[in-house]
Amino acid sequence: MVMAATPSKANSVDSRNLDKSKVNKALDSALEMGATYAEVRLVSLSTGTASLRDGSLHRAVPGQEIAATLRILSNGSWGVHSTTDIQSIPQQIEPTFRLANAVASRRDKSHKSITLAEVPIIEDELHWKPKKDVRDIQLETRIELMNQVHQEANDHQNIISVQCGWSDEHIHTELMTSEGMDRTWSFQRIMTNVMVTARDEKEVVSYRMRHGGEGGLDLLESVDLGEMGRTCRVSALRLLGAKRAPSGRMPLVADRDLTGVYIHEALGHPCEADLVAAGDSCLEGKLGQKIGSELITVVDDPLMRGGYGAYPIDDEGLDTKKKLLIKNGVLNEYLNHRETAGYFDLEPNAGARAQDGLHHPLVRMSNTMVLGGNHHDLDDLIADIPHGIYACGSRGGQVDTGRGSFQFAAQEAWLIENGELTSPLKDVSVSGLTLEILKNVDGLTKDAKLASPGFCGKGQTVPVGDGGPLMRIKDALVG
Amino acid sequence: MIPDDAINRLHESASKVAQFCDELGVKQWEIVAEQGYGHSVELEGGKITMASGGGSGGIGVRVLDQGKYGYAHFADVKSAKFAIERALNVASKSPAIDGFELPSLVSAKSVEGLLDQRVLSLSPEDVMTQADEILSEVDNANPRAVVTGGGIGAGVHAGVLVNSNGIEESGMRSSHGFSLQVTIDENGEQTSSYEGEYSRSLIHDFEPCVSKAVHWAEVTRNPIKGQDVSDCEVLMTSEGLAPLFSMVFPSALLGERMARKESLWSEKMGSKVLDDHLSIVDDRLLTGGISSTGRDAEGVPSRSHKLVENGDLISSLWSVRDSAQMVDEGRVDHAQTTGSAVRGSYQGPPSVGCSNLILKTSNRTKSLEDLILSIDSGYVVHSVMGAHTANPTSGDFSVTSSAILKVENGTVIGALKQAGLSGNLAKAFSKNVHMSNDTRRQGSYSSGSMYLPDVLLKEGLRVNPA
Repeated sequence: MVMAATPSKANSVDSRNLDKSKVNKALDSALEMGATYAEVRLVSLSTGTASLRDGSLHRAVPGQEIAATLRILSNGSWGVHSTTDIQSIPQQIEPTFRLANAVASRRDKSHKSITLAEVPIIEDELHWKPKKDVRDIQLETRIELMNQVHQEANDHQNIISVQCGWSDEHIHTELMTSEGMDRTWSFQRIMTNVMVTARDEKEVVSYRMRHGGEGGLDLLESVDLGEMGRTCRVSALRLLGAKRAPSGRMPLVADRDLTGVYIHEALGHPCEADLVAAGDSCLEGKLGQKIGSELITVVDDPLMRGGYGAYPIDDEGLDTKKKLLIKNGVLNEYLNHRETAGYFDLEPNAGARAQDGLHHPLVRMSNTMVLGGNHHDLDDLIADIPHGIYACGSRGGQVDTGRGSFQFAAQEAWLIENGELTSPLKDVSVSGLTLEILKNVDGLTKDAKLASPGFCGKGQTVPVGDGGPLMRIKDALVG
Repeated sequence: MIPDDAINRLHESASKVAQFCDELGVKQWEIVAEQGYGHSVELEGGKITMASGGGSGGIGVRVLDQGKYGYAHFADVKSAKFAIERALNVASKSPAIDGFELPSLVSAKSVEGLLDQRVLSLSPEDVMTQADEILSEVDNANPRAVVTGGGIGAGVHAGVLVNSNGIEESGMRSSHGFSLQVTIDENGEQTSSYEGEYSRSLIHDFEPCVSKAVHWAEVTRNPIKGQDVSDCEVLMTSEGLAPLFSMVFPSALLGERMARKESLWSEKMGSKVLDDHLSIVDDRLLTGGISSTGRDAEGVPSRSHKLVENGDLISSLWSVRDSAQMVDEGRVDHAQTTGSAVRGSYQGPPSVGCSNLILKTSNRTKSLEDLILSIDSGYVVHSVMGAHTANPTSGDFSVTSSAILKVENGTVIGALKQAGLSGNLAKAFSKNVHMSNDTRRQGSYSSGSMYLPDVLLKEGLRVNPA
């Protein structure tokens, strides 16, 4: 056997899966064929998901997966092979090398060949170990904690359904490259969520929340999960009587969730250097330029422990670091990986993430956050707004990175009238042009924090964190 | 593309897992084993950026004893015993569902058009040649247009489902699909359009899809000034409608959601829910259908299922498990499987869902051009951003479009740069709905595959130009 064919036992998946000498031999053979770079990245996952419906266990699924991706760079182009048949990797060196060359043969002179930015070659292991390992969680514990949410969420006759969900995972990665990189790392994530549905004689509405992040069981045990259920219940009941939001241009104050979604969708994605290189970013050519209000400073930080987008080492083996994307309104840095750092002649900043062992790394965000401003609180932000909207809780968002347009939707909102919150509203969405909105930010509260955990889709889905302070936009398109 | 003995290997794996189940005294078990293979090419910046290939698969096991069930998935047969024990542990903590038994063997129809040998014979080089053709078609259509994203892929999926009650089903499905984002960036103005096509059989002609992408990148240039917010007629092309339709209507048709009163159509059985010429059919036996299967994910024979007929809600979709559970909980007096169990992959147990969801009309249909001619003052919308933020429990949505054309007196007078589009989809479909004569398959959503024409919604929608 060349490499271990199956994951090790459930509670010891940090043990080595790749056989160093055999993999090195396979990677060397790629170089002998003429490749400039080759790597094998293996990911072993131990997962636990569960859900309650109306307080009763609906499903629980323990799982174990293992997969690996081989990448070969030859003549400036990539060939990739992904498989769950780990033993087959050495046999895939030659066909994958040929794939890379076939891509290279199609590249015309106007297109640059791929060169990877140089990075430190490291051989080590790094394990972010939580106090309470997710692999030791009993199903009873998951049920008990979800029930804390359920009991608070269900406490009203108009609440017709409460669905609670749970997921935890232990992610173990091994990366070996033809440059001599040999790193193994692991970390964990945990999350619970709830969706509350309320109904009266006129309508049916729902409200949902998530809580979680990078870490183990202690992350959920340390908070009052019942509060999440109470908040959902109260919000769902309030939505039953809420009016539809007005449409038009007006001042808008976004809560932490929506500030996070906006900054992720509207700014974070256009900052991804692979989109910039593809001509699909409104921020192309704008490094060093003022693109927004001086109040705006944005970081992307995978080392923000506890954030759902945290990771210790990126999927090309680089030590992670905080990226300062915007500093006082000036575009300071793109998120990049080795290929785009090479393309733009930039310092690599460890932005490579892959969904799992079956996917190759793309440039991705981690924990993206707007830093705080000078306003004390919500009252301070809305005091001088005669007519506007305060929008809360995210239903998600989307961006057209090339055109620089975006949309995000709120779960609920309030009308602001003469500096006070008045009527509750529903079905609020906000759209606009990234650069226009960035310039229209005229107020931020001091207390920037990560908001709810989220997922980002870009062909591959990865967990992310985002957030910031409450943010005031003086002129936004609502509805 | 796939080893000749792929199905045999999956059968062997499933048999070994079944043997372990028997050894561990599992009363009822169901095993699914899957393996997929494929080649794909990514397009970016007007060129092929990467070629990839590979295969992945795994095994899932559902155990059932006295109405209590558990599930686990794993990568290799060597982990099977451990996984079965974990599934049994889950079952021991699950509530018992009275009347929940795994289905027995009943003969099922086979569905044609799910496996195309021509797709299986595509080599990585063939797929790259097809990618070249797409790039070339875009260049021919408009040399200023650049493919800024997308790709093409071909694959095959092999699967085996066996259970302790005698079901032993296996099959292979091919897939061939491509997508492209076309961008025209000129004179400081950037417009783009995204199109795609996905099929169980070989796609011969990329030109129609490419032309549509280039067309929408072209017609949205030089935008006109938007007018005030208005409640107006909106013609949603099949492509523009599909993401919203797939968010709102499939979940409304699930029996379990109706029983739990989570569906926007709960307590509406037998009532008018759509305009009285509209029907919705879930056809799992559709020839070549993206979501067609001879048996559902629990092994129950598939069928074509009329859900809405002439505007009336007449039926809903059930799986074995949720029908038993809803009866056991007293939420409904009677329910039984409609052969509508679905499974995303071996990594999860079956749930209930739509397959090929087809919107039909008994009224006379028109061409897209004639539908536009019938608009006094309104818009044509070809794509939306944020459809996933629509609320499936209410049907309310508020999305944004950058592919929106203004129509006055039956004539397109120009494109808007961007506009908000909001309303309630269920209400908009409840009256004054007109449909084109061109029903098109729109991708594969998690809620099923949508087969939709272009639809003119005369009431209930609001457009908010930027």
